[in-house]
Amino acid sequence: MGLLTILKKMKQKEREMRLLMLGLDNAGKTTILKKFNGEDVSTISPTLGFNIKTLDHRGFKLNIWDVGGQKSLRSYWRNYFESTDGLVWVVDSADRLRLEDCKQELSALLLEERLAGATLLVFANKQDLPGALSKEAIREALALDEIKSHHWCIIGCSAVTGENLLTGVDWLLDDIAARIFTSD
Amino acid sequence: MDVMADVSHENTLAADSGAARVQERMQKRNQARIESVERRREAKESQSVAEENYEFFSSTFNREREGIEELLSGCSGADRATAAQNLEEATVRTAQLQKFLSDSTLFLKQYDLRKAQAALQTLQTSLTETREEALPKKKFAFRARTKGADRACAPAADTPPPSAVSPAEPGSTQTDGASEQCGFSNLSEQLLIKTSEEVQKRDVLLTHLTNCKVRLFGSPSTLHLKHIQGCEILCGPVSSSVFVDRCTDSTLAVPCQQLRTHNTTDTRVYLHVTSRAIIEDCRGVSFAPFSWSYPTLEEDFAVSGLDQTRNNWSQVDDFNWLAAGTPSPNWTVIPEEERRTSWDP
Repeated sequence: MGLLTILKKMKQKEREMRLLMLGLDNAGKTTILKKFNGEDVSTISPTLGFNIKTLDHRGFKLNIWDVGGQKSLRSYWRNYFESTDGLVWVVDSADRLRLEDCKQELSALLLEERLAGATLLVFANKQDLPGALSKEAIREALALDEIKSHHWCIIGCSAVTGENLLTGVDWLLDDIAARIFTSD
Repeated sequence: MDVMADVSHENTLAADSGAARVQERMQKRNQARIESVERRREAKESQSVAEENYEFFSSTFNREREGIEELLSGCSGADRATAAQNLEEATVRTAQLQKFLSDSTLFLKQYDLRKAQAALQTLQTSLTETREEALPKKKFAFRARTKGADRACAPAADTPPPSAVSPAEPGSTQTDGASEQCGFSNLSEQLLIKTSEEVQKRDVLLTHLTNCKVRLFGSPSTLHLKHIQGCEILCGPVSSSVFVDRCTDSTLAVPCQQLRTHNTTDTRVYLHVTSRAIIEDCRGVSFAPFSWSYPTLEEDFAVSGLDQTRNNWSQVDDFNWLAAGTPSPNWTVIPEEERRTSWDP
Protein backbone atom coordinates (compact mmCIF):
# COMPACT_ATOMS: atom_id res chain seq x y z
CA MET A 1 0.00 0.00 0.00
CA GLY A 2 1.59 3.22 -1.11
CA LEU A 3 1.64 6.42 0.86
CA LEU A 4 -0.82 8.07 -1.53
CA THR A 5 -3.31 5.28 -1.04
CA ILE A 6 -3.03 5.62 2.71
CA LEU A 7 -3.61 9.35 2.46
CA LYS A 8 -6.63 8.81 0.22
CA LYS A 9 -8.09 6.29 2.65
CA MET A 10 -7.60 8.69 5.55
CA LYS A 11 -9.35 11.46 3.69
CA GLN A 12 -12.30 9.22 2.97
CA LYS A 13 -12.51 8.26 6.63
CA GLU A 14 -13.48 11.87 7.36
CA ARG A 15 -16.70 11.40 5.40
CA GLU A 16 -17.77 14.97 5.08
CA MET A 17 -21.03 15.95 3.39
CA ARG A 18 -22.64 19.23 2.49
CA LEU A 19 -26.42 19.50 2.74
CA LEU A 20 -28.40 22.49 1.51
CA MET A 21 -31.82 23.12 3.01
CA LEU A 22 -34.23 25.21 0.95
CA GLY A 23 -37.97 25.83 0.68
CA LEU A 24 -40.50 28.64 0.82
CA ASP A 25 -40.58 30.93 3.83
CA ASN A 26 -42.37 29.49 6.87
CA ALA A 27 -41.76 25.92 5.67
CA GLY A 28 -39.87 25.10 8.87
CA LYS A 29 -36.27 24.85 7.66
CA THR A 30 -34.66 26.47 10.68
CA THR A 31 -36.93 24.52 13.02
CA ILE A 32 -35.86 21.24 11.39
CA LEU A 33 -32.21 22.20 11.71
CA LYS A 34 -32.50 23.21 15.35
CA LYS A 35 -34.65 20.24 16.32
CA PHE A 36 -32.21 17.86 14.63
CA ASN A 37 -29.42 19.47 16.60
CA GLY A 38 -31.42 19.24 19.85
CA GLU A 39 -31.90 22.97 20.35
CA ASP A 40 -34.90 24.97 21.55
CA VAL A 41 -37.37 25.59 18.70
CA SER A 42 -39.90 27.91 20.39
CA THR A 43 -38.10 31.21 19.78
CA ILE A 44 -37.15 30.92 16.11
CA SER A 45 -37.52 34.07 14.03
CA PRO A 46 -37.91 34.21 10.25
CA THR A 47 -34.40 33.70 8.85
CA LEU A 48 -32.83 36.89 7.61
CA GLY A 49 -29.82 35.44 5.83
CA PHE A 50 -28.72 31.90 6.65
CA ASN A 51 -27.68 29.45 9.38
CA ILE A 52 -24.89 26.89 9.17
CA LYS A 53 -24.54 23.90 11.48
CA THR A 54 -21.79 21.34 11.47
CA LEU A 55 -22.73 18.18 13.25
CA ASP A 56 -21.56 14.59 13.52
CA HIS A 57 -24.08 11.91 12.75
CA ARG A 58 -23.41 8.20 12.20
CA GLY A 59 -19.74 8.87 11.64
CA PHE A 60 -20.44 11.49 8.98
CA LYS A 61 -19.57 15.12 9.36
CA LEU A 62 -22.57 17.08 8.10
CA ASN A 63 -22.38 20.69 7.03
CA ILE A 64 -25.99 21.82 6.90
CA TRP A 65 -26.82 25.15 5.28
CA ASP A 66 -30.22 26.62 6.02
CA VAL A 67 -30.96 29.61 3.80
CA GLY A 68 -33.92 31.94 4.35
CA GLY A 69 -36.90 31.34 2.08
CA GLN A 70 -38.42 34.82 1.77
CA LYS A 71 -39.06 35.90 -1.80
CA SER A 72 -36.38 38.57 -1.63
CA LEU A 73 -33.80 36.01 -0.48
CA ARG A 74 -34.51 33.35 -3.10
CA SER A 75 -32.30 35.03 -5.68
CA TYR A 76 -29.39 34.43 -3.29
CA TRP A 77 -30.00 30.68 -3.10
CA ARG A 78 -27.75 30.09 -6.07
CA ASN A 79 -24.77 31.33 -4.08
CA TYR A 80 -25.01 28.19 -1.99
CA PHE A 81 -25.31 25.58 -4.76
CA GLU A 82 -21.61 24.80 -5.20
CA SER A 83 -20.48 21.31 -4.12
CA THR A 84 -23.82 20.38 -2.55
CA ASP A 85 -24.14 16.64 -1.92
CA GLY A 86 -27.74 16.67 -0.77
CA LEU A 87 -30.66 19.04 -1.25
CA VAL A 88 -33.35 19.09 1.43
CA TRP A 89 -36.55 20.68 0.14
CA VAL A 90 -38.89 21.56 2.98
CA VAL A 91 -42.63 21.94 2.32
CA ASP A 92 -45.26 23.40 4.67
CA SER A 93 -47.88 20.68 4.18
CA ALA A 94 -50.61 22.91 5.60
CA ASP A 95 -49.96 25.80 3.20
CA ARG A 96 -52.25 24.82 0.34
CA LEU A 97 -52.32 28.33 -1.10
CA ARG A 98 -48.67 28.34 -2.05
CA LEU A 99 -48.20 24.77 -3.26
CA GLU A 100 -48.06 26.05 -6.82
CA ASP A 101 -45.28 28.47 -5.83
CA CYS A 102 -43.51 25.67 -4.06
CA LYS A 103 -43.71 23.49 -7.14
CA GLN A 104 -42.27 26.17 -9.40
CA GLU A 105 -39.36 27.01 -7.12
CA LEU A 106 -38.46 23.33 -6.86
CA SER A 107 -38.63 22.77 -10.60
CA ALA A 108 -36.33 25.75 -11.17
CA LEU A 109 -33.83 24.31 -8.70
CA LEU A 110 -33.79 20.91 -10.35
CA LEU A 111 -32.80 22.46 -13.67
CA GLU A 112 -29.79 24.04 -11.96
CA GLU A 113 -26.58 22.54 -13.29
CA ARG A 114 -24.63 22.90 -10.07
CA LEU A 115 -27.23 20.81 -8.24
CA ALA A 116 -27.30 18.12 -10.91
CA GLY A 117 -25.39 15.60 -8.82
CA ALA A 118 -27.25 16.20 -5.56
CA THR A 119 -29.70 13.80 -3.94
CA LEU A 120 -33.13 15.31 -3.23
CA LEU A 121 -34.97 14.77 0.05
CA VAL A 122 -38.42 16.34 0.29
CA PHE A 123 -39.69 16.89 3.82
CA ALA A 124 -43.50 17.20 3.92
CA ASN A 125 -43.30 19.13 7.15
CA LYS A 126 -45.95 20.06 9.75
CA GLN A 127 -47.68 16.68 9.70
CA ASP A 128 -48.68 17.39 13.31
CA LEU A 129 -51.15 20.08 12.14
CA PRO A 130 -54.74 18.89 11.64
CA GLY A 131 -55.01 20.63 8.26
CA ALA A 132 -51.80 19.20 6.81
CA LEU A 133 -51.82 17.42 3.45
CA SER A 134 -50.49 13.87 3.46
CA LYS A 135 -47.11 13.17 1.92
CA GLU A 136 -48.86 11.39 -0.97
CA ALA A 137 -50.85 14.54 -1.71
CA ILE A 138 -47.66 16.62 -1.64
CA ARG A 139 -45.94 14.10 -3.85
CA GLU A 140 -48.72 14.49 -6.39
CA ALA A 141 -48.97 18.26 -6.06
CA LEU A 142 -45.24 18.71 -6.66
CA ALA A 143 -45.29 16.10 -9.46
CA LEU A 144 -42.30 14.39 -7.87
CA ASP A 145 -42.84 11.21 -9.89
CA GLU A 146 -41.75 13.08 -12.98
CA ILE A 147 -38.28 13.74 -11.60
CA LYS A 148 -35.79 11.54 -13.41
CA SER A 149 -32.75 13.72 -13.05
CA HIS A 150 -32.14 13.21 -9.32
CA HIS A 151 -32.43 10.47 -6.72
CA TRP A 152 -35.35 11.60 -4.57
CA CYS A 153 -37.51 10.58 -1.64
CA ILE A 154 -40.41 12.22 0.20
CA ILE A 155 -40.82 11.86 3.96
CA GLY A 156 -43.71 13.20 6.05
CA CYS A 157 -42.34 14.78 9.19
CA SER A 158 -42.94 17.25 11.97
CA ALA A 159 -40.15 19.57 12.98
CA VAL A 160 -41.99 20.51 16.16
CA THR A 161 -42.33 16.94 17.45
CA GLY A 162 -39.19 15.70 15.70
CA GLU A 163 -41.11 12.84 14.08
CA ASN A 164 -39.36 11.23 11.09
CA LEU A 165 -36.54 13.77 10.89
CA LEU A 166 -34.00 11.05 11.55
CA THR A 167 -35.57 8.70 9.00
CA GLY A 168 -35.26 11.36 6.32
CA VAL A 169 -31.70 12.36 7.08
CA ASP A 170 -30.60 8.71 7.31
CA TRP A 171 -32.05 7.98 3.88
CA LEU A 172 -30.24 11.02 2.50
CA LEU A 173 -26.91 9.97 4.03
CA ASP A 174 -27.21 6.43 2.73
CA ASP A 175 -27.96 7.61 -0.76
CA ILE A 176 -25.11 10.12 -0.81
CA ALA A 177 -22.66 7.71 0.77
CA ALA A 178 -23.43 5.07 -1.84
CA ARG A 179 -22.63 7.63 -4.48
CA ILE A 180 -19.50 9.38 -3.27
CA PHE A 181 -17.71 7.11 -0.83
CA THR A 182 -16.08 3.76 -1.43
CA SER A 183 -17.74 0.81 0.19
CA ASP A 184 -14.89 -0.29 2.43
CA MET B 1 56.89 -37.30 -1.81
CA ASP B 2 54.30 -39.83 -0.77
CA VAL B 3 53.72 -37.98 2.40
CA MET B 4 53.36 -34.80 0.43
CA ALA B 5 50.89 -36.46 -1.92
CA ASP B 6 48.93 -37.79 0.99
CA VAL B 7 48.82 -34.41 2.57
CA SER B 8 47.76 -32.74 -0.63
CA HIS B 9 45.11 -35.43 -1.13
CA GLU B 10 43.83 -34.81 2.33
CA ASN B 11 43.79 -31.12 1.59
CA THR B 12 41.78 -31.72 -1.52
CA LEU B 13 39.37 -33.81 0.49
CA ALA B 14 39.04 -31.09 3.08
CA ALA B 15 38.57 -28.48 0.35
CA ASP B 16 35.96 -30.71 -1.31
CA SER B 17 33.93 -31.11 1.83
CA GLY B 18 34.27 -27.34 2.49
CA ALA B 19 32.96 -26.52 -0.99
CA ALA B 20 30.07 -28.93 -0.53
CA ARG B 21 29.13 -27.26 2.73
CA VAL B 22 29.28 -23.83 1.18
CA GLN B 23 27.17 -24.99 -1.68
CA GLU B 24 24.71 -26.56 0.70
CA ARG B 25 24.53 -23.37 2.71
CA MET B 26 24.04 -21.33 -0.41
CA GLN B 27 21.30 -23.63 -1.58
CA LYS B 28 19.58 -23.36 1.75
CA ARG B 29 19.86 -19.63 1.69
CA ASN B 30 18.53 -19.49 -1.83
CA GLN B 31 15.64 -21.69 -0.76
CA ALA B 32 14.90 -19.35 2.13
CA ARG B 33 15.06 -16.35 -0.17
CA ILE B 34 12.65 -17.90 -2.64
CA GLU B 35 10.34 -18.84 0.17
CA SER B 36 10.39 -15.36 1.61
CA VAL B 37 9.74 -13.84 -1.82
CA GLU B 38 6.85 -16.26 -2.17
CA ARG B 39 5.55 -15.29 1.25
CA ARG B 40 5.78 -11.61 0.45
CA ARG B 41 4.06 -12.14 -2.88
CA GLU B 42 1.26 -14.02 -1.16
CA ALA B 43 0.93 -11.33 1.46
CA LYS B 44 0.74 -8.72 -1.23
CA GLU B 45 -1.84 -10.68 -3.17
CA SER B 46 -4.00 -11.16 -0.13
CA GLN B 47 -4.00 -7.41 0.32
CA SER B 48 -4.81 -6.37 -3.21
CA VAL B 49 -8.02 -7.91 -4.47
CA ALA B 50 -8.14 -9.16 -8.03
CA GLU B 51 -10.79 -6.55 -8.86
CA GLU B 52 -8.41 -3.76 -7.91
CA ASN B 53 -6.43 -3.55 -11.07
CA TYR B 54 -6.81 -1.40 -14.09
CA GLU B 55 -7.34 -4.20 -16.63
CA PHE B 56 -10.27 -5.61 -14.72
CA PHE B 57 -11.75 -2.15 -14.20
CA SER B 58 -11.39 -1.01 -17.76
CA SER B 59 -12.80 -4.18 -19.29
CA THR B 60 -15.80 -4.23 -16.92
CA PHE B 61 -16.39 -0.52 -17.36
CA ASN B 62 -16.24 -0.65 -21.14
CA ARG B 63 -18.42 -3.74 -21.37
CA GLU B 64 -21.10 -2.08 -19.26
CA ARG B 65 -20.83 1.18 -21.17
CA GLU B 66 -21.29 -0.59 -24.49
CA GLY B 67 -24.31 -2.38 -23.06
CA ILE B 68 -25.93 0.91 -22.09
CA GLU B 69 -25.10 2.49 -25.44
CA GLU B 70 -26.76 -0.44 -27.16
CA LEU B 71 -29.87 0.08 -25.03
CA LEU B 72 -29.93 3.75 -25.98
CA SER B 73 -29.48 3.13 -29.69
CA GLY B 74 -32.37 0.66 -29.46
CA CYS B 75 -34.61 3.52 -28.40
CA SER B 76 -34.68 5.35 -31.72
CA GLY B 77 -37.50 4.02 -33.82
CA ALA B 78 -38.86 1.83 -31.03
CA ASP B 79 -42.40 2.35 -29.74
CA ARG B 80 -42.98 4.42 -26.60
CA ALA B 81 -43.30 1.56 -24.13
CA THR B 82 -40.11 -0.15 -25.28
CA ALA B 83 -38.22 3.12 -25.32
CA ALA B 84 -39.42 3.97 -21.82
CA GLN B 85 -38.38 0.55 -20.58
CA ASN B 86 -34.99 0.82 -22.25
CA LEU B 87 -34.44 4.27 -20.80
CA GLU B 88 -35.41 3.12 -17.35
CA GLU B 89 -32.92 0.27 -17.52
CA ALA B 90 -30.24 2.52 -18.97
CA THR B 91 -30.72 5.00 -16.14
CA VAL B 92 -30.37 2.32 -13.50
CA ARG B 93 -27.33 0.82 -15.16
CA THR B 94 -25.69 4.23 -15.56
CA ALA B 95 -26.17 4.85 -11.86
CA GLN B 96 -24.59 1.47 -11.11
CA LEU B 97 -21.70 2.31 -13.38
CA GLN B 98 -21.22 5.61 -11.56
CA LYS B 99 -21.07 3.72 -8.28
CA PHE B 100 -18.61 1.22 -9.72
CA LEU B 101 -16.40 4.09 -10.80
CA SER B 102 -16.56 5.84 -7.45
CA ASP B 103 -15.77 2.54 -5.73
CA SER B 104 -12.71 2.20 -7.92
CA THR B 105 -11.29 5.67 -7.36
CA LEU B 106 -8.92 4.30 -4.72
CA PHE B 107 -6.70 2.32 -7.04
CA LEU B 108 -7.19 4.12 -10.36
CA LYS B 109 -4.59 6.53 -11.63
CA GLN B 110 -5.65 10.16 -12.07
CA TYR B 111 -5.56 9.88 -15.85
CA ASP B 112 -7.65 6.70 -15.99
CA LEU B 113 -10.10 8.16 -13.52
CA ARG B 114 -10.58 11.29 -15.57
CA LYS B 115 -10.93 9.28 -18.76
CA ALA B 116 -13.61 7.10 -17.16
CA GLN B 117 -15.43 10.12 -15.77
CA ALA B 118 -15.44 11.76 -19.19
CA ALA B 119 -16.84 8.57 -20.74
CA LEU B 120 -19.55 8.44 -18.09
CA GLN B 121 -20.39 12.09 -18.68
CA THR B 122 -20.79 11.45 -22.41
CA LEU B 123 -22.99 8.50 -21.59
CA GLN B 124 -25.20 10.58 -19.32
CA THR B 125 -25.52 13.30 -21.92
CA SER B 126 -26.57 10.86 -24.58
CA LEU B 127 -28.99 9.27 -22.10
CA THR B 128 -30.61 12.68 -21.52
CA GLU B 129 -30.70 13.41 -25.24
CA THR B 130 -32.23 10.07 -26.04
CA ARG B 131 -34.85 10.55 -23.35
CA GLU B 132 -35.81 13.94 -24.73
CA GLU B 133 -35.96 12.52 -28.22
CA ALA B 134 -37.89 9.35 -27.45
CA LEU B 135 -40.19 10.64 -24.73
CA PRO B 136 -40.45 14.40 -25.21
CA LYS B 137 -43.48 14.79 -22.95
CA LYS B 138 -41.72 13.09 -20.07
CA LYS B 139 -39.34 15.98 -19.70
CA PHE B 140 -39.68 17.33 -16.17
CA ALA B 141 -41.95 20.36 -16.17
CA PHE B 142 -44.75 21.46 -13.95
CA ARG B 143 -48.24 21.51 -15.34
CA ALA B 144 -50.45 24.51 -14.76
CA ARG B 145 -52.85 22.62 -12.51
CA THR B 146 -52.60 19.26 -10.84
CA LYS B 147 -55.18 16.56 -11.16
CA GLY B 148 -55.78 16.88 -7.44
CA ALA B 149 -56.75 20.52 -7.77
CA ASP B 150 -59.06 19.78 -10.68
CA ARG B 151 -60.86 17.17 -8.69
CA ALA B 152 -61.16 19.50 -5.75
CA CYS B 153 -62.65 22.22 -7.91
CA ALA B 154 -65.45 20.15 -9.38
CA PRO B 155 -67.40 19.51 -6.17
CA ALA B 156 -66.71 23.05 -4.96
CA ALA B 157 -68.93 24.44 -7.70
CA ASP B 158 -72.16 23.09 -6.28
CA THR B 159 -71.44 23.55 -2.59
CA PRO B 160 -72.58 26.55 -0.54
CA PRO B 161 -70.22 29.53 0.01
CA PRO B 162 -66.81 28.66 1.49
CA SER B 163 -67.56 29.93 4.97
CA ALA B 164 -70.41 27.47 5.37
CA VAL B 165 -68.41 24.42 4.33
CA SER B 166 -67.56 22.02 7.13
CA PRO B 167 -63.92 21.80 8.25
CA ALA B 168 -61.48 19.66 6.30
CA GLU B 169 -60.59 16.11 7.18
CA PRO B 170 -56.98 15.84 8.28
CA GLY B 171 -54.83 14.34 5.56
CA SER B 172 -57.38 15.05 2.84
CA THR B 173 -55.79 15.21 -0.58
CA GLN B 174 -57.55 18.28 -1.86
CA THR B 175 -55.30 21.15 -2.82
CA ASP B 176 -57.93 23.80 -3.30
CA GLY B 177 -57.66 25.52 0.06
CA ALA B 178 -60.48 28.02 -0.08
CA SER B 179 -63.23 25.42 -0.37
CA GLU B 180 -62.50 23.70 2.90
CA GLN B 181 -60.51 25.99 5.14
CA CYS B 182 -61.99 27.77 8.11
CA GLY B 183 -62.42 31.50 7.40
CA PHE B 184 -64.16 34.16 5.32
CA SER B 185 -63.75 35.25 1.72
CA ASN B 186 -65.27 37.56 -0.90
CA LEU B 187 -67.27 39.73 1.51
CA SER B 188 -67.64 43.45 2.09
CA GLU B 189 -69.21 45.86 4.58
CA GLN B 190 -69.94 43.21 7.22
CA LEU B 191 -69.21 42.26 10.80
CA LEU B 192 -67.73 38.75 10.75
CA ILE B 193 -67.29 36.68 13.90
CA LYS B 194 -65.85 33.24 14.61
CA THR B 195 -66.16 31.63 18.01
CA SER B 196 -63.46 29.86 19.93
CA GLU B 197 -64.83 26.41 18.99
CA GLU B 198 -64.64 27.26 15.29
CA VAL B 199 -61.06 28.45 15.14
CA GLN B 200 -59.36 26.47 17.91
CA LYS B 201 -56.15 24.78 16.58
CA ARG B 202 -57.26 25.38 12.99
CA ASP B 203 -55.72 27.19 10.02
CA VAL B 204 -57.85 30.27 9.49
CA LEU B 205 -57.94 31.98 6.10
CA LEU B 206 -59.38 35.40 5.31
CA THR B 207 -59.32 36.48 1.65
CA HIS B 208 -60.79 39.23 -0.50
CA LEU B 209 -62.45 41.18 2.30
CA THR B 210 -63.32 44.85 1.87
CA ASN B 211 -64.38 47.23 4.67
CA CYS B 212 -65.21 44.42 7.07
CA LYS B 213 -64.81 44.09 10.82
CA VAL B 214 -63.55 40.65 11.76
CA ARG B 215 -63.40 39.20 15.28
CA LEU B 216 -61.77 35.82 15.75
CA PHE B 217 -62.13 34.66 19.35
CA GLY B 218 -59.99 31.66 20.25
CA SER B 219 -56.56 30.31 19.38
CA PRO B 220 -56.00 29.34 15.71
CA SER B 221 -52.94 27.34 14.65
CA THR B 222 -52.10 29.76 11.83
CA LEU B 223 -53.78 32.81 10.34
CA HIS B 224 -53.57 33.77 6.66
CA LEU B 225 -54.77 37.16 5.42
CA LYS B 226 -54.80 37.81 1.69
CA HIS B 227 -56.25 40.66 -0.39
CA ILE B 228 -57.62 42.64 2.51
CA GLN B 229 -58.75 46.24 2.11
CA GLY B 230 -59.98 48.70 4.71
CA CYS B 231 -60.67 46.02 7.30
CA GLU B 232 -60.30 45.83 11.05
CA ILE B 233 -59.20 42.32 12.01
CA LEU B 234 -58.81 41.25 15.64
CA CYS B 235 -57.69 37.74 16.50
CA GLY B 236 -56.89 35.67 19.58
CA PRO B 237 -53.42 34.17 20.19
CA VAL B 238 -52.08 32.29 17.13
CA SER B 239 -49.83 29.43 18.18
CA SER B 240 -47.48 29.63 15.15
CA SER B 241 -47.36 32.18 12.33
CA VAL B 242 -49.56 34.89 10.93
CA PHE B 243 -49.27 35.52 7.20
CA VAL B 244 -50.32 38.84 5.75
CA ASP B 245 -50.27 39.36 1.98
CA ARG B 246 -51.64 42.26 -0.08
CA CYS B 247 -53.33 44.12 2.71
CA THR B 248 -54.06 47.86 2.50
CA ASP B 249 -55.56 50.54 4.77
CA SER B 250 -56.34 48.08 7.52
CA THR B 251 -55.90 47.58 11.22
CA LEU B 252 -54.82 44.23 12.68
CA ALA B 253 -54.46 43.10 16.26
CA VAL B 254 -53.02 39.67 16.98
CA PRO B 255 -50.67 37.78 19.30
CA CYS B 256 -48.53 35.16 17.52
CA GLN B 257 -45.17 33.43 17.42
CA GLN B 258 -44.09 34.88 14.06
CA LEU B 259 -45.57 37.59 11.85
CA ARG B 260 -44.74 37.53 8.14
CA THR B 261 -46.02 40.53 6.23
CA HIS B 262 -45.82 40.85 2.44
CA ASN B 263 -46.93 43.45 -0.14
CA THR B 264 -48.78 45.41 2.47
CA THR B 265 -49.31 49.18 2.62
CA ASP B 266 -50.68 51.68 5.12
CA THR B 267 -51.63 49.16 7.75
CA ARG B 268 -51.48 49.37 11.53
CA VAL B 269 -50.55 46.25 13.46
CA TYR B 270 -51.20 45.89 17.20
CA LEU B 271 -48.89 43.03 17.84
CA HIS B 272 -47.73 40.56 20.43
CA VAL B 273 -44.95 38.47 18.89
CA THR B 274 -42.72 36.06 20.79
CA SER B 275 -40.00 35.71 18.14
CA ARG B 276 -39.86 38.47 15.52
CA ALA B 277 -42.00 40.18 12.92
CA ILE B 278 -40.79 40.59 9.35
CA ILE B 279 -41.97 42.73 6.45
CA GLU B 280 -41.19 42.25 2.76
CA ASP B 281 -42.22 44.55 -0.09
CA CYS B 282 -44.22 46.69 2.31
CA ARG B 283 -44.52 50.39 2.99
CA GLY B 284 -46.33 52.51 5.52
CA VAL B 285 -46.73 49.68 8.03
CA SER B 286 -46.83 50.78 11.64
CA PHE B 287 -46.63 48.79 14.84
CA ALA B 288 -47.86 49.07 18.43
CA PRO B 289 -48.22 46.55 21.27
CA PHE B 290 -51.29 44.28 21.23
CA SER B 291 -54.09 45.88 23.21
CA TRP B 292 -57.32 44.07 22.30
CA SER B 293 -58.93 42.05 25.07
CA TYR B 294 -61.90 39.72 25.45
CA PRO B 295 -63.16 37.55 28.33
CA THR B 296 -61.35 34.29 27.45
CA LEU B 297 -58.10 35.83 26.22
CA GLU B 298 -56.06 34.42 29.10
CA GLU B 299 -57.28 30.88 28.48
CA ASP B 300 -56.57 31.20 24.76
CA PHE B 301 -53.05 32.38 25.53
CA ALA B 302 -52.60 29.20 27.56
CA VAL B 303 -53.94 27.07 24.68
CA SER B 304 -51.61 28.72 22.18
CA GLY B 305 -48.55 28.17 24.35
CA LEU B 306 -47.33 31.73 23.68
CA ASP B 307 -45.23 33.42 26.32
CA GLN B 308 -47.23 36.44 27.50
CA THR B 309 -44.22 38.10 29.03
CA ARG B 310 -42.15 38.11 25.85
CA ASN B 311 -43.29 40.67 23.28
CA ASN B 312 -40.90 41.81 20.54
CA TRP B 313 -43.47 43.92 18.70
CA SER B 314 -40.99 46.72 17.97
CA GLN B 315 -38.24 44.48 16.54
CA VAL B 316 -39.19 44.28 12.91
CA ASP B 317 -36.90 42.87 10.18
CA ASP B 318 -37.38 44.37 6.74
CA PHE B 319 -36.16 41.99 4.04
CA ASN B 320 -35.87 44.87 1.60
CA TRP B 321 -33.71 46.87 3.97
CA LEU B 322 -30.62 44.91 4.82
CA ALA B 323 -28.45 47.91 5.71
CA ALA B 324 -27.46 47.64 9.34
CA GLY B 325 -27.50 50.83 11.40
CA THR B 326 -30.02 52.84 9.40
CA PRO B 327 -33.67 52.08 10.24
CA SER B 328 -35.96 50.91 7.45
CA PRO B 329 -38.20 53.64 5.98
CA ASN B 330 -40.93 51.07 5.35
CA TRP B 331 -42.23 50.74 8.91
CA THR B 332 -42.70 52.91 11.99
CA VAL B 333 -43.83 52.70 15.59
CA ILE B 334 -47.27 54.23 16.24
CA PRO B 335 -46.80 57.13 18.70
CA GLU B 336 -48.38 56.36 22.07
CA GLU B 337 -50.99 59.13 21.88
CA GLU B 338 -52.25 57.77 18.53
CA ARG B 339 -52.68 54.16 19.64
CA ARG B 340 -56.17 52.65 19.80
CA THR B 341 -57.27 51.55 23.25
CA SER B 342 -60.94 50.70 22.71
CA TRP B 343 -61.96 48.10 20.15
CA ASP B 344 -65.69 47.64 20.56
CA PRO B 345 -67.45 47.64 17.21
